[in-house]
Amino acid sequence: MANVLLLLLAVLGAPLFVIIAGSALWGFYQQDVDLSVLPIEIFAIAETPILLAIPLFTFAGYILSESQAPTRLVRVTQAVFGWMPGGLAMVSLAACAFFTAFTGASGVTIIALGAILYPALASAGYDERFNLGLVTSAGSLGLLFAPSLPIILYGVVAKEPIDTLFVAGAAPGMLMLVLLAGWSVWRNRHTRTALSAFSWREVGAALKDAALEIPLPIVVLGGIYGGVLAVSEAAAVTALYVLIVEVVVRREIKLTALPGIVRESMMLVGGILVILGVSFASTNYMIDAGVPEKLFALTESRVDSKLTFLLALLVFLLILGAILDIFSAIVLVVPLILPLAANYGVDPIHLGIIFLAAMQLGYLTPPVGLNLFIASYRFNKSILSVYAATLPFLLILFVSVLIITFWPSLSLFLVR
Amino acid sequence: MSDVRWWQRLDRIGRGLENALLLLSLVAMIGLAVAQIVARNVGLGGFAFSDELLRLLVLWVAMLGAVAASRDDHHIRIDLVSRFLPYRLRKGVRVIVDLFTAGVCAVLAWYGLSFVASTREFEDLAFGALPLWWFQAILPVGFGLIAYRYLLWTCQHGYESWRGEVDMKTGSPEGG
Repeated sequence: MANVLLLLLAVLGAPLFVIIAGSALWGFYQQDVDLSVLPIEIFAIAETPILLAIPLFTFAGYILSESQAPTRLVRVTQAVFGWMPGGLAMVSLAACAFFTAFTGASGVTIIALGAILYPALASAGYDERFNLGLVTSAGSLGLLFAPSLPIILYGVVAKEPIDTLFVAGAAPGMLMLVLLAGWSVWRNRHTRTALSAFSWREVGAALKDAALEIPLPIVVLGGIYGGVLAVSEAAAVTALYVLIVEVVVRREIKLTALPGIVRESMMLVGGILVILGVSFASTNYMIDAGVPEKLFALTESRVDSKLTFLLALLVFLLILGAILDIFSAIVLVVPLILPLAANYGVDPIHLGIIFLAAMQLGYLTPPVGLNLFIASYRFNKSILSVYAATLPFLLILFVSVLIITFWPSLSLFLVR
Repeated sequence: MSDVRWWQRLDRIGRGLENALLLLSLVAMIGLAVAQIVARNVGLGGFAFSDELLRLLVLWVAMLGAVAASRDDHHIRIDLVSRFLPYRLRKGVRVIVDLFTAGVCAVLAWYGLSFVASTREFEDLAFGALPLWWFQAILPVGFGLIAYRYLLWTCQHGYESWRGEVDMKTGSPEGG
C-alpha cells in the first residue's frame, strides 16, 4: 500500500530523492530501526573519496559549455571532416560526443552545441528532419567516453575501478559513433550539400584557435593512464585548467557570470548526490529485507542461461530508461542487478557498459526521453515531430546496444 | 526600486547566499585538491587533513546544491503525468507533491538533528582537531531548508491553482 502510494507520488512528479527517502524511511520504520540510519547513510557521501570527481568534472563541463569552446570544437572537426560527403553530420556527431563526455549528458550538449550545429546543418543543405534527429540523438552520444559522469557514478555504485570502466567504454562508444556516422552519410548520399575544400591551412588555423582546449583529453586520459593522477585528481586539474583558460586567459566568461554557472552546475551535482545518498539507505534496507534473494529466486526459475538473462536485462533496461533518468537508474538498480548478473557470469564491467548504453537510448525514448523535450523546446518543434525525426537514429543506436550486449569482448578486450 | 517586495528581496539575498557558499566550497575544493597534487609531487607528502576536508566539502556542495535546486524547483523527477494535465489540476497536484516533499525532508532534518547530536555527545573529531558535528550539521540544516522551500512551493502552487491561469501579458506579475 505504502509502495503504491509512493509510486503514485513519483509519477505525479515528486522529486526522486524524496520518493527513495520515503520508501527507506517507511521500510526502516516498519522494521523498528532508528530512523537516524538515514542521515548516517547520507553522510556516506563524505566517506566516498571518488565522488570528488563528480562536482569537479561537472563544473568543468559547464564552464566549457558557457565559453566559446563549442564553436572552436566545431571549427576543428569541420576543418578535418568538412570536405567529406556527409561531413558536417560527422562533425556534429564527433563534436557532440566529445562534449558530452565532459558534460555528462545532462542536456547541456543540445543546448550548447545544438545552437551552432542546427543552423549550420540547415545552411549546408541537409533536410530539417534529419538535422533535428541528428542533433537530438547526438546530445547523449559520448556517454561511454571518459570522463563521463554516468560512468563515474556506475563505478561508485558497483565498486568497480573507474579507470577500467573508462577504457571499457571506448570501443562501444566508437561503435555507436561509427554506426551513426555511416547512416548519416548513406542517408544523405543524394543530398547536395556544400562541401568545404580540405585545406591544411584551415586545419592549422582551427587547431591554433583551439590550442588551449585540445590538451584537455590529454590531461585527463594521460594523467590517469600515465599513473600520475587519480581520477578525482584529474578532475581537479581539469576544473582548474578550464577555469584559468576560459576565465583568465580567454576572458570569455566574466567573473560576474561565475556564481551563476557554479549554481547551475552544482544544482545538478546536488540533485544527483542527494539521490545517491538516500539510495545508500534504501539499498541497505532492500538488502535487509532480502530483496536480492527474492530477485534471485524469481529469475532462477524463469531465466536459465546467460543469453536469456542478457535479453531480459536489455528489455528491462530499455523500459527503465524510458521512465527513469540515468543517474537515478544507476543508483537504484545497479546494486540489485549486480549479484544477479554475476550469477549468470556477466562481467561487472561489461554490465556497466550495457547499462549505460541501454540507458542512453532512454534519452530518446518517448514519452519522457529528456533529449526529446530539450530539443523540442530548444528548436521550437512539436514533440511529435521530434519523436519522428529521432526514430531512425534511435533504431541505429538500438542495434549498437544489441551488439554491445551480446558481444562482451567489444567492451572487455582492452581491460581483461 | 521601491516596489520590490520584501519577499523578492529575501529571495535575492537567499539566492546570493547560496551562490556565495557554493562558489566558496567549490573554489576551496579545486584549490585544495590541486595543492595536494603539487605537494605530493614536490615530495612534501599530502596534508593530513586535506583528504578528509575534501570529502566533507563534497557533502557540503551536495547539500548546498540540493538546497539551491529546491529554490529553483530543479530536482530530478519523473515527469510523466503533469504535462498532460490542465493548468489548475496540474498546480493542484503539485500542492500534494510539494507537501509530501516538505514532510519527508522535515523528517530527514529531524533525524539528522539526532544524528548530529549523537556525534556531538561522542565528541568525534574531524582532522583530529575540530568537532565533526560542525560539518555534519549541513544535513539537518540542508534538509530543513529544503522542507521550508517546499512549504513555500506548496503555498505558491496552491495559490496558482486557486487563481487559475493568468495571461502572461496582462496578468499580475506576482511571484516574479
